[in-house]
Amino acid sequence: MKYSLLTGLLLAFVLVGCRPSQKITRINPNTTTDLSGKWNDTDARLVAEEMITDALSKPWLNQFNRNNQKPPVVIVGRVRNESMEHIETEVFTKELERSFVNSGEISVVASSEERADIRDERLDQQANASYETTKKLGQELGADFMLIGNINSIVDEAVDSRTLAVFYTVNLEFVNIQTNQKVWIGNKKIKKFIERRNYRGMP
Amino acid sequence: MLDDAQFDLRDSFTAADYQSSEELLKKFKKKDIYRSKDQVLYNLESGMIYHFSNKYDSSSFYLSNAENEIDQNYTKSVSRGVGAFLTNDNKLVYDGEPYEDVYLNAFKALNFIHLQDWDAALVETRRMTYKMTQLDIKIKGLASSFAKSDSTGKTDWETGDVNIQNSAMGHYLSTVLYAKAGDIDDARIEREKLEIALKEQANLSSGRNLVQSDLSKLQNPNTYNVLLAGFTGRAPYKVQEDARVFMDDYDDKKDDEFYLKFSFPVLKTYNSEVNYVRAVVNDSITTPLDLIEQMDKVSAEVYKAKQPIIYSRALLRASTKAIGTKLISGAVREKNEFLGDLLQILGFIAQETTEKADLRSWQTMPGQSWMKTIKLPEGINTVRIEYIGRNGRVRYFDEFEVTITANTELELVESIYAN
Repeated sequence: MKYSLLTGLLLAFVLVGCRPSQKITRINPNTTTDLSGKWNDTDARLVAEEMITDALSKPWLNQFNRNNQKPPVVIVGRVRNESMEHIETEVFTKELERSFVNSGEISVVASSEERADIRDERLDQQANASYETTKKLGQELGADFMLIGNINSIVDEAVDSRTLAVFYTVNLEFVNIQTNQKVWIGNKKIKKFIERRNYRGMP
Repeated sequence: MLDDAQFDLRDSFTAADYQSSEELLKKFKKKDIYRSKDQVLYNLESGMIYHFSNKYDSSSFYLSNAENEIDQNYTKSVSRGVGAFLTNDNKLVYDGEPYEDVYLNAFKALNFIHLQDWDAALVETRRMTYKMTQLDIKIKGLASSFAKSDSTGKTDWETGDVNIQNSAMGHYLSTVLYAKAGDIDDARIEREKLEIALKEQANLSSGRNLVQSDLSKLQNPNTYNVLLAGFTGRAPYKVQEDARVFMDDYDDKKDDEFYLKFSFPVLKTYNSEVNYVRAVVNDSITTPLDLIEQMDKVSAEVYKAKQPIIYSRALLRASTKAIGTKLISGAVREKNEFLGDLLQILGFIAQETTEKADLRSWQTMPGQSWMKTIKLPEGINTVRIEYIGRNGRVRYFDEFEVTITANTELELVESIYAN
């Protein structure tokens, strides 16, 4: 009896003690996971989806096509983070670029940061690449519109800090590089309500 | 053990031996000196040490951890609360003093300025401003509640002379960053708030004018390309004070006095030996830095608001322990006098040994911040930041080589003399 009890305890200890310290489950990237209440991948995805649909469906695109007989060329400019969280705006601007290029309706050129390396490479080719394969200077595709925007947040917190509401607003615009005219303004609002527990049972 | 470790860390940090400070932190981590309940403290100390070791990414990592822990520690553990009630507040998870939660954002902002990321630095100054506003609301709310519940009417529950929501350092950094980002209106608004904050902080220095520069120049980004920042003094520290109240049980049949012992932390500020800070540029031009924020005095003002809560909790805990001991020993004494007396003695010993004030606080936070913006010519410049003592002599200096090009927007030259 005593040995059975000891064996049972030892077995229980081994089973409990040898459990892995963490468990990993692969989930669909589109699954919503709100863990902290802060800006997350779901928010970036919602912004990108709404902005893409809006940008491709508004009249500016058809008007440009009619007047110019070609799709507009867009360059991604600065999307300013004016919120209280560190938000990587490139997550949704890249998604917009991908959708625009894949739709065939909007052309995208490299941003100012991206083209710096490309220009260095082109200059390097003038000196080092064969004549047949050297890419010519002064042949870049000029952008018609620049995508700029900002993301802002308003936080409303109860005095006891138990509840807070966070409101994000993302604004994106296409600005005509020649005339400064704004041809499209997209906006996405996200609001979250966060409740904190006063107590938890375990240390 | 933790208190001793904190003192060791403070000593090596104030000696500017950041390598040793890093080694100490690793040693303490290995020895589990900083337990799971002390992680906010560990992250704050690490963040500051890495900041002054010029490891800005690491510093931001640890300061962000501290910020997240402070946020998560809002939810209190029931079992820890019970443990703390039976022993002392050191059992509780340390969730940072309110001023620590605010100032960590200032150093994160400085990290991002060093990394030339203005947007990220502005996020931190916005967070600082937001926390200050919330803190001001809470403190005014607390003072109002205490005043309403005080039936004696003898205590002044006013919040003190400092309007916490106006952190001068936060507004100074915001003014500079908005100006450099081209947001002139926002820069002007922040500069106006800065001037209000400086006037209020002058109350802490008996009306002494702390700033000599023309602050309106901060709004014009073309008038400067270098931000000088000097830090002096030390964070306020806590000392334990004990009080013993002897009570009589008013039972004439028994000679049975007992006493309550309660310990509470008192915040002390450190007197810096620095009278003012100046910068010497290219060995020719001398310019004084402005005392922008007396972080230690602001911290002390903020801490005052918490004191009634700390004292009442300590008193309640001590009363419960003392009365509990008396009742139990009294009940046992009726059956066995010797055991009853023994229990009472053990109860007194337990009171004396378990009652210990929570002295945890951020030890590597400096006491004062001094700032100034200047414009340096293109090329390599030398900037020497000198810390002048009360006798007019240079107590310490740091020398930097600052390279300015046509594209330089803002270089941050930062130094500390934690004495």
